Amino acid sequence: MTNSVPEFSEHTRCFLITGSNTTEAHPLIASHIMKAKDRGAKVIVVDPRKVQIARLADLYLQPRPGTDVAWLNGLMYVIVTEELADQEFIEKRTEGFEEMWRVVQGYPPERVEEITGIPAEDLRAAARMYAQNKPAAILYTMGITQHTTGVDNVKCIANLAMLTGNLGIPGGGVNPLRGQNNVQGACDMGGLPNVYPAYQPVNSPEAKAKFEAIWGVEGLSDKVGLTVVEMVHAAGEGHLRSLYVMGENPLLSDPDIGHARESLEKLDFLVVQDIFLTETAELAHVVLPAATFAEKEGTFTATDRRIQRVRKAVDPPGQAKADWEILCLLARRLGAAGFDFASPEEIMAEIARVAPSYGGVTYERLDREGLLRWPVPSADHPGTPYLHKEKFTRGLGRFFAVEFQEPAELPDEEYPFILTTGRIIFQYHTGTMSRRSPKLEQEAPEPYVEMHPDDAARIGLDGAQRVRVVSRRGEIEVAVRLTERIRPGVVFIPFHYAEAAANVLTHAALDPVAKIPELKVCAVWVERVVKDEE
Amino acid sequence: MSHPDLLNTLRAHVAEKLPELDGVVGLRRTVVGTAPYLFRQGDDLSELVLSPRYPLASVVSLLQKRYPQARFGLVARACDLRALVEMAKRQQVDPDRLFILGVACTAEEAEECHCGAPFPKTEGWPQAVALGSPASAGSPNPIIARYEGMDRAERWAFWQEQFAKCIKCYGCRNICPECFCEVCALEDPLWVEPGVLAPPFPSFHLIRAMHMAARCVGCRQCELACPAHIPLTVLYDLLRRDVAELTGYEPGADLFAAPPLSLTLAEGR
Repeated sequence: MTNSVPEFSEHTRCFLITGSNTTEAHPLIASHIMKAKDRGAKVIVVDPRKVQIARLADLYLQPRPGTDVAWLNGLMYVIVTEELADQEFIEKRTEGFEEMWRVVQGYPPERVEEITGIPAEDLRAAARMYAQNKPAAILYTMGITQHTTGVDNVKCIANLAMLTGNLGIPGGGVNPLRGQNNVQGACDMGGLPNVYPAYQPVNSPEAKAKFEAIWGVEGLSDKVGLTVVEMVHAAGEGHLRSLYVMGENPLLSDPDIGHARESLEKLDFLVVQDIFLTETAELAHVVLPAATFAEKEGTFTATDRRIQRVRKAVDPPGQAKADWEILCLLARRLGAAGFDFASPEEIMAEIARVAPSYGGVTYERLDREGLLRWPVPSADHPGTPYLHKEKFTRGLGRFFAVEFQEPAELPDEEYPFILTTGRIIFQYHTGTMSRRSPKLEQEAPEPYVEMHPDDAARIGLDGAQRVRVVSRRGEIEVAVRLTERIRPGVVFIPFHYAEAAANVLTHAALDPVAKIPELKVCAVWVERVVKDEE
Repeated sequence: MSHPDLLNTLRAHVAEKLPELDGVVGLRRTVVGTAPYLFRQGDDLSELVLSPRYPLASVVSLLQKRYPQARFGLVARACDLRALVEMAKRQQVDPDRLFILGVACTAEEAEECHCGAPFPKTEGWPQAVALGSPASAGSPNPIIARYEGMDRAERWAFWQEQFAKCIKCYGCRNICPECFCEVCALEDPLWVEPGVLAPPFPSFHLIRAMHMAARCVGCRQCELACPAHIPLTVLYDLLRRDVAELTGYEPGADLFAAPPLSLTLAEGR
């Protein structure tokens, strides 16, 4: 996130929320939006489903899934043609406006309506509301990123924020809400195939030399590795023979899990480190039991770059150990030097040494100040609530010209519906934790497909309680819930449930840059299940 | 009496009482954060603090049930003490095994809570002290006046909008010192359809409100806990007013007054 969560309740005057079921997936961030709403902030929601936050919105737009570039360009078209853009910001802080405009001028609201289904007047109203209520924050999640055009979508969001001067100010910004308590921290630490800690590229000779010197080793690889979905493909093709999975359950969260399972079964050796025996762990040759949040010391770095301590309340059960202990033990068995840490605090001292944005972070400061937001380059630096204050990392902010492209798999006569997947408040991700909670399980014990009543009538569901949902990859049987909150032509399935996993159906097409799979759009057909007794 | 003075007086009282008790329930602040804590003899009482507000009555109730012989002390604000009154009537605390260390709220705290009775009323409690000096009551919640100016349709729309924000976290129920049923109607599919967000309007919130009639002591913990910022005290203050008008009963005011909606009928009558 360019900005920090408390700014939402304190400063933001308009929220543009898209591809985010905020109240269900990020309830505590939604809490700040509610507070802002109470003092009169505007809320615009753009989502193929009328999710809870959409019902509270001042404006709700319902696009066809996978058309985000079109409506985002459309918003910019209106802002520029109605002279609502921030000219001063564009001139002083950005470059590439003309190039971007050459593309965006091809997206008048009437054309956007044809592509997305959003009424032209609604699009105009949204553009005005966003541009005229500064500071305005854009909030998005996987509904924007899990597309073959995920990177394009995010570029358009950045364009829109720059166009209106909503970057580098409190309460504005481009704010991807990250889904796990420490996924930001994992990325910051180099848990990505292309970077060392603090996003220092593995293929940069300087970064390579720096880490070789600090770690006292030679010959660190300068090759970019594989992303998660690429790893599964490589396993299937036999190029990857051994895989070590930590706190991830790809046999439920990856696209096309029928194929993912076949691929992982081909591995010579699979290690899974997790707090419970997940679907993926069941396939592993070795399972390493890990400690939970309440059983270990350390820090978590939250979605708004907020570094906070986590503290041990109880000992881990049985043989379980904190992830860092397991990794250090393993490294020592492998004969690697430099893993003789006695505590997470010692690890933080190394983090501060190698990661410039964490340079001023110490446990002593975290104890005293409660939290720090990176960049914290030095011991006397107070941390950074919002980024890009006077200049962007690269100097001038660059506008990108982005044309709309259709998703990889569109509905057709054979598979007439768009399937989009997502989350519900009562379950969490692959259910590794939440499905073991009787209270949560009581709220939402089984998977279902959401469908518009008009679609149900059109395909003759005729009151059927259960349906079969079929894609080119596989099929599942689920209960059906008819609701007008979903766009006709689109069906939705929460992906938490192993017994009828939505990801049996999804498509493993990847964004060409980020390699994120298109989990939010694929084509399916739906038919009623006739039970024996009927 | 200013807050630091009150806190010092309280710590002195706790130190004096600890030898006679199995512990004193209060709030403890350390580098880790602030949490309810059972202070025992020898503990560092400089860690005992008064804020943030937290319903410690529920904590002492659990401890008393777990340790049926123990005698505990409790640091109690006026609202904690009112909560204890209703809990005692429903066998959730045993007054004879409880030493109350009542503390006064400041005028600012009373104003923040719109509290009408910010000084702990220790009458009737077998063992109790009240520390600090009574502050003036807070002004009434301004939303109530606004609400009373609405007609029926506007009131319906007001609650519809407020309850549409609910994320069914059960925070209002979980924090409430008077919510102690082991089986909760809000989790019974007969009354509330599970898995629906926002939960069914208005039944979810009104079931809880009805169960709170003649029990809610106006401690405002539910409103403070609500992540959706639903102004729950508007509902509960008006409920308390209705109960007072209909039955003359003021929950939390009198340890010996029988609650009008929870009498036990003697067998054979």
